[in-house]
Amino acid sequence: MIKTIFFTVLTVVFFYIVWVNNIFAPHEKYEMPQEHKKIAMDYKYAKEGRELFIQNCAACHSVRYDALYLTQVQANPMLTSLQEKYGKVLPRDVYEAVFMNDLNALKEAFGKVPPDLSTIYLVKGPEYLYNFILEPQKVLPGTTMPAVMTGRPEETAKIVAYLRSVSEPSHQEKAKRNIMGVVTIGYLIVMGVLIWLWRGRLLKRMGLH
Amino acid sequence: MIGRLGRWFNERAKLSEMWQSQMVDYKVPKNLTFPYAFGVMAMVAFLIQIISGIFLVMYYQPNVHTAFDSANYTIMKEVPFMWLIRNVHAAGANFFLAIVYLHIFTGIYYNAYKKPRELTWIVGFFIYFVLLMTALSGYLLPWGQLSYWGMVVTTEIPTSIDSAPIIGKLKIGETISVWMKGGYELGQITLGRFFGLHIWLLPLILLGLVGFHFYLIRAHGISSPDGREIDKKKEGVPFHPYITLKEGAYLMGYLAVFFFFVFFYMKHFLPADNYDPADPFKTPAHIAPEWYLLAFYTMFRSIPDKFLGFVVFNLALILLLILPFLDFSPLRSARNRPLFFAMFVVLVISSMALTILGAMPPTPTNAMLGFIFTLGFISFFVSLPIISILEWGWYKAKGGSKND
Repeated sequence: MIKTIFFTVLTVVFFYIVWVNNIFAPHEKYEMPQEHKKIAMDYKYAKEGRELFIQNCAACHSVRYDALYLTQVQANPMLTSLQEKYGKVLPRDVYEAVFMNDLNALKEAFGKVPPDLSTIYLVKGPEYLYNFILEPQKVLPGTTMPAVMTGRPEETAKIVAYLRSVSEPSHQEKAKRNIMGVVTIGYLIVMGVLIWLWRGRLLKRMGLH
Repeated sequence: MIGRLGRWFNERAKLSEMWQSQMVDYKVPKNLTFPYAFGVMAMVAFLIQIISGIFLVMYYQPNVHTAFDSANYTIMKEVPFMWLIRNVHAAGANFFLAIVYLHIFTGIYYNAYKKPRELTWIVGFFIYFVLLMTALSGYLLPWGQLSYWGMVVTTEIPTSIDSAPIIGKLKIGETISVWMKGGYELGQITLGRFFGLHIWLLPLILLGLVGFHFYLIRAHGISSPDGREIDKKKEGVPFHPYITLKEGAYLMGYLAVFFFFVFFYMKHFLPADNYDPADPFKTPAHIAPEWYLLAFYTMFRSIPDKFLGFVVFNLALILLLILPFLDFSPLRSARNRPLFFAMFVVLVISSMALTILGAMPPTPTNAMLGFIFTLGFISFFVSLPIISILEWGWYKAKGGSKND
């Protein structure tokens, strides 16, 4: 009994550390004021954030998964014909080959092509993005990203809300997934209990208990 | 109509006879404990991987330009319910390996590798090894930063042979490394060959090995937790329904935990850094392999010499392979073997500590700790022959002989 408890606790603690919360691995933490975090976490602001993104960021950054391309690309008539052929979200190689001149111009100005931001929310999380967009030099010294949004924390939070809406499933979708999860888990637990009870009865009848 | 068709089929295929002989008349010890269910859980995890993998391969594109988008846009956002399939496949790989590790440690604890089950253990070792290869090759496919740089590090491991004294001049390691990558750098060729390996060759090898593993288990019967072989004519319980329903109930519990992670906690199984598309010009800050390789990784890096590190982590694998021959004691199961039990605890704690150390920064203290736990890991295997000799002495003193 003691051995069982010992090994069970050891295993559970081990998997908690490696899978859920590795307290030993290095972590970087960024802070974000509560009121702005609320904005960033609210889907309501995604639309407004998209407008702000187009005004402030789209000169250098695209969000391909949202079919939002660089300002100079959006103005290019070739884009529509390409989208008719490949769908709204262009394949990366097609996009990079056709609009090579625009991307190269950015590369010359900034040292590298500013990254596409389709999945950046999943990589960095809201706190980092908020701090970085607000004051790029403070978070990543030496970066070529200009301080476009400095002094506009609320609008920055709205841009983060937009980036989140691109990466994460929508509100209704998330609710649907949660229900699916609860139902699946509930079904499995109920089935497990039923199998166990049925087994008890069966074994009693067979005289094996 | 269906009933008649079923009967016709049953009479020809002799299904109910097979069921009777293989499931009902097949006797197993009555006192099988919970850890014995890890075997069937691993089997189900394998099935889940195959089924979810078949769906994923319909939408995934093994091309450096489109791989990332096909995984993160087409699969995660465009096609309905494919997010679920990808979550299942990603979490499933981790759960599969976790269950396999638990299965291995259960086997060690109950001495399930002893005569006549040595071959079962050896086949199981190869399942584990091929599984690691499968996981490794699958990890490259989303073509994110972690995929890319993880594979860069992995394909560099063989080059540590080249720092050996004499054979290093032959540059064998570099040849292996280039052969793995299909060139001097990771690219389309690498992705193509790892894709092929991941979806065809390695799963087929796994299927074959798993089938052989099952056959061997059936041929020799299941070992018992107290180490005594049962007389199948007089004792034992029918495999069905006694064990099938018991482990079926455990299985439901396992799947409930699994689906909890699939629906609510994918943060670890689809790590944030891998949502960054692979960029050969941008090295990420910390590169560590996945958790199931961390123990070997720590052994490799806590030894100052590169070649020696390579030798030690390969030695760890080989020791695991030859375990049935290191332990020749007449006693079975850690329940009857206090010395073995103590060393087993050393092994478990060392393995866990090595894994946790692998994710920590490589400071001198951590390297020292890594070295100590590497010794702990190896000391288990080294102590086995000594324990066996001691136990032979006790066994004979109690009147047992070699012919028992």
